[in-house]
Amino acid sequence: MALQDDRTTLSDEQLVRRAQRGDMAAFEELVARHRDKVYARAFSMLRSEDEALDVSQEAWVKGWQRLKQFQGESSFVTWMTRIVINLCLDQLRKHKRQKAESIEQLAEESGGVERQMPAVAVNPTEGLERREVRARIERALSQLSYEHRTVLILHEFEQLEYKEIAKRMQCSIGTVMSRLFYARRRMANLLAAYKKEELSP
Amino acid sequence: MKPKQALELQAYLDGELSGRAARRVAAWLAQDPEAQALANELRQTKALLAGYEPDARVPESREFYWSKIARAIATAEVQASRPVGLWGWLADWRRALVPVSGLAVALVLALALIRGGVWSQPFSYLTEVETLSEHALTHSFRAGDMFVVWIEPRATLWGAENPEAGAELQDLIIQ
Repeated sequence: MALQDDRTTLSDEQLVRRAQRGDMAAFEELVARHRDKVYARAFSMLRSEDEALDVSQEAWVKGWQRLKQFQGESSFVTWMTRIVINLCLDQLRKHKRQKAESIEQLAEESGGVERQMPAVAVNPTEGLERREVRARIERALSQLSYEHRTVLILHEFEQLEYKEIAKRMQCSIGTVMSRLFYARRRMANLLAAYKKEELSP
Repeated sequence: MKPKQALELQAYLDGELSGRAARRVAAWLAQDPEAQALANELRQTKALLAGYEPDARVPESREFYWSKIARAIATAEVQASRPVGLWGWLADWRRALVPVSGLAVALVLALALIRGGVWSQPFSYLTEVETLSEHALTHSFRAGDMFVVWIEPRATLWGAENPEAGAELQDLIIQ
């Protein structure tokens, strides 16, 4: 019990050093601290609870196996998030191979109708409570194709540059720019549409 | 606005343009209301997302979630620690050799029976194939005192093209 309490008071860096020496209990503490963050990233990309659970657990296994390679260039949780993102991208590529591209997806690749639509002028979430804004953003994100959602997540939440996103998604920088532009425009239009739904009787 | 200009505007807002290109886009943006409207929308969406990163919690208890990870780590470590070299090679082959050696034993037993036991008389046999109908064949096999007859429904092949008729035929044969 005393040892357990001891671990909870240690910093991530201290726990990582212990885990690198083979202390599994220290690694368990790291999992307990960051499991929600790692799972949330997997869920935001895959949109499936079961898959997100499997992939996030696989990420932790890989994390343990590669722990000696972690030199502390970034925070431990950032490092783990990168591992889970790579696994999600592998998973999504598998899905993509299994599914034929629909006409809708092809339209999305080329920009779809959103490219032609006028810019959304007002803030579509104005006056909403934080919880409601989050729910609407979640809803809009789930309506994007995986390519557009992923590019948005990697750019807006992971703060990756175009070049890095292109490398991870195995596509050109031009494709990243096009997907990002489309994804943002579609998000703005979806949020504006939800606002209209709310205002209509 | 051309698609290329829109993408350039986005790259400018994301800080991805070099100094000279960034100055060119900034000058255009200052004069073009359509570009300004688009820039506002892109900034607004970016700001919205920044404050609302998707949030989700693991739908399992800490212990259960960890137990699966710990098990997977242990399995991977056992696999990684398997003996290498000659012993490792033998360990890999042992799994394949078990069924093969079983088959060999069965073959030796069968030969022993044929030579000295049940089929000790001169080994002669006759097989016949007869067509009962377009839907079934009979095969008969005679060896010594044994006489085996079996009916082979063609329903498997026939039924693949016509499942209902295939099923009917199967019923008939069973009766």
